Amino acid sequence: MQFDLLLAAFGKVMLDPINFFFVFIGVTSGIIVGVLPGLTATMGVALLIPFTFGLDPVRGLIMLLGLFSGGIYGGSISAILIGVPGTPSAAATVLDGHVMGKRGLAGKAIGMATIASFFGGTTGALIMTFLSPQIAKIALKFGPPEFFALAFFGLGIIITVSGKSILKGLISGVFGLMITTIGFDPLSGCPRLTFGSLELLGGITFIPALIGLFGYSQVFQGIEKILTLPFVKSELKNVIPKLKEIKGVIKTMVKSALMGTFIGAVPGTGCDIAAFVSYGEARRSSKYPEKFGTGILEGVAAPEAGNNGATGGAMIPMLTLGVPGDAVTAVLMGALTIHNFQPGPLLFRDHPEVVYPIFAGMILAQFVMLGVGLGGARFFASIINIDRRILTPIIFLLCVVGSYVMRFSFFDVGVSLIIGIIAYFMNYYGFPGSPILLALILGPMVEQNMRRSLIISHGDPLIFVTRPISAAFIFIGIFIMITSYYRIKRAMEREGKKDLMAEKEKVD
Amino acid sequence: MKKEDIGTGIGLLILSTWLFWYVGRYRVKEIYGYGPDFFPRVLAVMMAVLGLSLIINALLGSSLKMGDRIDPKGFVRLLISIVICIGYLFLTKLLGFATATFVFLFILMTFLKQKGLFMRLCSCLGTALTVWAIFRYFLIIPLPEGWLF
Repeated sequence: MQFDLLLAAFGKVMLDPINFFFVFIGVTSGIIVGVLPGLTATMGVALLIPFTFGLDPVRGLIMLLGLFSGGIYGGSISAILIGVPGTPSAAATVLDGHVMGKRGLAGKAIGMATIASFFGGTTGALIMTFLSPQIAKIALKFGPPEFFALAFFGLGIIITVSGKSILKGLISGVFGLMITTIGFDPLSGCPRLTFGSLELLGGITFIPALIGLFGYSQVFQGIEKILTLPFVKSELKNVIPKLKEIKGVIKTMVKSALMGTFIGAVPGTGCDIAAFVSYGEARRSSKYPEKFGTGILEGVAAPEAGNNGATGGAMIPMLTLGVPGDAVTAVLMGALTIHNFQPGPLLFRDHPEVVYPIFAGMILAQFVMLGVGLGGARFFASIINIDRRILTPIIFLLCVVGSYVMRFSFFDVGVSLIIGIIAYFMNYYGFPGSPILLALILGPMVEQNMRRSLIISHGDPLIFVTRPISAAFIFIGIFIMITSYYRIKRAMEREGKKDLMAEKEKVD
Repeated sequence: MKKEDIGTGIGLLILSTWLFWYVGRYRVKEIYGYGPDFFPRVLAVMMAVLGLSLIINALLGSSLKMGDRIDPKGFVRLLISIVICIGYLFLTKLLGFATATFVFLFILMTFLKQKGLFMRLCSCLGTALTVWAIFRYFLIIPLPEGWLF
């Protein structure tokens, strides 16, 4: 850890009002995206990336980090007010938050969610700041087999982000890997699957693909359902919680923030799992577990500290190993790449001028989120009331502009639209989009390092399991895949039983 | 969604067979044969196995239940919106970004039955000018310019 660089970065980021302005924009946009059900932090970051092209990379990146933190927090507002989580990570907040909302305590619940999110986010950001450089030091010793094993480990996340069907998640992942083979072969320079198109020589550009997967697909679903979706109105009073109330949940917040950070640091887990595990642990260790679910502040503080703690945690594998912790960090990884910074151990060695401001920016984002969240809660609550017939066309426009400005290419807009249409149908037929995103990020890394390793070993595939670090990643990857498989299977069985019981009740 | 899964599985088998055959043309004499065709072929084999598994899974009755279905009227609305978007792309080259964006938003909002003409006009004009100004003056990124701006 280079403390001089870290302090200089904190000074540079924290004391520059322009940086503060960009973080403010990021956090505010993030909360707006988070508040609106159906719009995710992943989509928000994807749509904001084109707005960072003309900016200084550090400013652009800290704006995106602000959006990430704000987006995860913003989901709690709609969860509390209307009982619909704005983002999947706020699903656990509905359990107690919405009950409080129905009792007329929505303001208090949102205030507590803001403070818990700030606490969790700051804990995660601090752990990220001090742990990441140590991990990066070890990762500097990696060669092609280790990088292949790392990418394999990263692709293992596909199982955990597959939703209800692992098989369909794997199909999405392989489809994404196929997309990465379009364009110049990274080793020989031979153009592949371009069908004579000059635009395809460089491959499918990441941002248009991303906007297609997470932007257009949601806009298309929004347009399809726009006349049938019910309109829900929200109102809000008294946001700032009392000091006594904060003291009452501080233990829960500390535990949830730490748990959330470490859960987030495991690739493939993400903020939603962190929130549920934190909520479950708070309930398990509580003196009055029976009160959880009846609308208590601990039931709001635990998931919110957990999911925002996971934001910092998820950044650790992305920055140090080049393996995204979840879908949002995968998009952030793409943003770094677009600004010519390749996440991984070399980033710490070659670009400390970017890494340390990222740490500082993440912490600054938490403070801005606290201020904006408490000060603007009423405004954000009113956003839920915006007419969807105005909002959806505006998001549609942002998708078009976002896919165009990367290369000023109408071809990219077309590619993005086509990917959006494919993603729209995939959603209906149970094929998740996140595995494609992971494959787009990790595909080139897998191919290059697999072929390089095999060439080094004269074609012997045992090279991947005879080198200790590479073997460790492969075995841990397989272990995570197997445990995730059983976890999903159990969850599906539970859901199946619930469905059966519901059907029986209907029949009775 | 048994039928859908079987259909998708057959489609994936066709895609993987075609890919395996098509990338054969990229075979170059590289050491140990790990040339440009190697990785796409590995993926083609994987996709074929997964496609076959999807078909078998469906035949064994293990397909997921179809959740939310596509609303036919909504789907037509979506197709028309995409056509409006394609028209917007052509219009951008003719009229310029800001003007075409205003027209696009206004047509789309009207088509989506947004009530309140004043609100619609304000939001279309405000959005078009804000996005145009951010890119032109703040980020200094050029957007298409046509007859107008």
